[in-house]
Amino acid sequence: MIGLRLRTGALALAVLAVAFAWHIAVGAKVIPLATVAEAFWGYDETVFDHVVIRDLRLPRALMAVAVGAGLAVAGALMQGVTRNPLADPGLLGLLAGASFAVVLGTFTGLTSPAVIPVLAAIGALAAASIVWGVASAVPGGASPMTLVLAGAAVTAFLAALTAIMLLIDETSFEALRVWLTGTLAGRPGTAGLWAAGWLVLGLVVALGAARQVTAMAMGDEAATGLGVDVRKLRLAILVSVVALTAAAVALAGPMGFVGLVVPHMVRLVVGHDYRVIVPASAVVGATYLLLADIAARMLLAPVEISTGLITALLGAPVFVWLVRARL
Amino acid sequence: MSEVIWQKLDGRVTFALPLRAVLVFVVLLFVVFAITLIALMSGSFPMSATDALRSLAGNPPPDMATTVVWEFRLPRALAAAMAGALLAGSGAVLQTVTRNALADPSLVGVSQGAGLAVVTVLVIFPETPIGLRPVLAFAGALAVATLIQAIAMRRTGGATMRFILTGIGVAAFLGAVTQAMLTYGDLNRAMAALGWLAGSVHAAGWGDVQVLCISLALLIPAMIWAARPLAALRMGPEIATGLGSAVTRDRAALITLSVALAACAVAMVGPLAFVGLIAPHLARRLARSGPGLHLALSLAIGAALVAGADLIGRIAFAPVQIPAGLVTAVIGAPVFGWLLLQHAKS
Repeated sequence: MIGLRLRTGALALAVLAVAFAWHIAVGAKVIPLATVAEAFWGYDETVFDHVVIRDLRLPRALMAVAVGAGLAVAGALMQGVTRNPLADPGLLGLLAGASFAVVLGTFTGLTSPAVIPVLAAIGALAAASIVWGVASAVPGGASPMTLVLAGAAVTAFLAALTAIMLLIDETSFEALRVWLTGTLAGRPGTAGLWAAGWLVLGLVVALGAARQVTAMAMGDEAATGLGVDVRKLRLAILVSVVALTAAAVALAGPMGFVGLVVPHMVRLVVGHDYRVIVPASAVVGATYLLLADIAARMLLAPVEISTGLITALLGAPVFVWLVRARL
Repeated sequence: MSEVIWQKLDGRVTFALPLRAVLVFVVLLFVVFAITLIALMSGSFPMSATDALRSLAGNPPPDMATTVVWEFRLPRALAAAMAGALLAGSGAVLQTVTRNALADPSLVGVSQGAGLAVVTVLVIFPETPIGLRPVLAFAGALAVATLIQAIAMRRTGGATMRFILTGIGVAAFLGAVTQAMLTYGDLNRAMAALGWLAGSVHAAGWGDVQVLCISLALLIPAMIWAARPLAALRMGPEIATGLGSAVTRDRAALITLSVALAACAVAMVGPLAFVGLIAPHLARRLARSGPGLHLALSLAIGAALVAGADLIGRIAFAPVQIPAGLVTAVIGAPVFGWLLLQHAKS
């Protein structure tokens, strides 16, 4: 069993590495993989390709890894703790909340790199509370359906407010417009480092709590019986999900459906132990977003589509299928 | 509830008219008229009510007033009101047929289907005449409605919540395709399509009004026909069958009608969100009535809603114009949340 796990894990990491290298190689100019390798091991700043790789493509690939891993882990945790196959930071309104808060911050002049992830976290937390509040106020509790419907309402509301802000101040928002569809084309700079801090926080909490999430996925009573402090665990998961969402939004804007699709793919292979699901989701999520970003850049080349559109195109059918199969 | 009951031939022909509903309808018509009048008066060239009315009557005070009223403000106000009426009718029919209080053409992807069809045409064949747009929108919307029905209809004949959730997924997918289309297309055309997608009537001219008028003229008789099957279906498929209605056929016809209503509105002013959701509920709260009168009330409320939303969007942050669709979304989303709570209670 352990041996099998190790082998699967090694295979997943190998696939991730290949996707990473491929992601760096493709683009406006296709760079041979040998040159990609050279740029790391024999960096020469007079070679143009090396500079392109180091300054443009490597940051973008790293962003894809960070955002993909963060969103996938957030989705896995949400699905486990709420026992809801349709849980996803996007569907439950967290992405909309975070991006609304960031736009509001830009609107009021709060744009320093350290503040952006904080704003995103506050927005995600507020949206999550509202969605959870509405859904659990419904008699019968927060079912997958009411959660998704409440998430859709919150998303529609915040999206309209965001669009109004963009209209009022058109000039300063040109960059945000693309960012709002979920893109890896931006260059986060120092904000990226701050976001990375949030990401690490979220991942550490997630890995620490993974063991108890497995118990929680069997039901609150079963978890309590197994010695899990359900309230404390919920709080920890909330912190982790909000931190991961905030990091992802600060880096790349709202990237829908990643947190929905990846954990379901992972569960098909590794089963229901969250000690495995959480790290596996991180690796597969990173690979998934790298591939989605490759598609975004190649599909209509030389035009680049927003990566968020690709993840929506891939994820929405999965969502429809889940509704049909699970509800 | 007071009703006027009208009997002929010893009660074999009986006609009950709920007074309150009729009264509400008349009041609503006045509201629509008032909003239109305010819309004519306000803007960067303000004028008094008498001036606006006089220019309408063809007896304008200064020269500018005629142009402002007839070329800009009147077609815009009319287009808003008519599109709102169409969307409200669509929502009312859809909610009754699917027996789902949360059904709304923009929520279940019908509007997005129409939107995708129109954007495709705007971007790829910009020379298409404006009159063809409703047809294309109808084709797109109908395809989506059929798809959602086919997916959602499984065990229990289209369980209501699954219908909505499937629609949300399909809407997300179509939205992404539409966005990708915009990235790919020529920038100027894409910008035109973008304004339209936000659900805006600010560019509405007499061409749009004409198309909307024709749509309404064609679809109102269909709605009058729809009152009967709706009355049966609203009690559930079993009872409707017992009452002698061909449930499958009626349901298909009514969904097609609902799709057509939404498609005509979306083709001209873009996918305005939540109008089809709010108007029928408001109509039900204002007055209890049969499905026919309920439809009429919904139409009037929809007209008032969108005309009002456009007016707010126009003057709230002037000179920036907020598309009516954003205003209806800001109003409609909380209403949706509230309905969600009510819906689960019943």
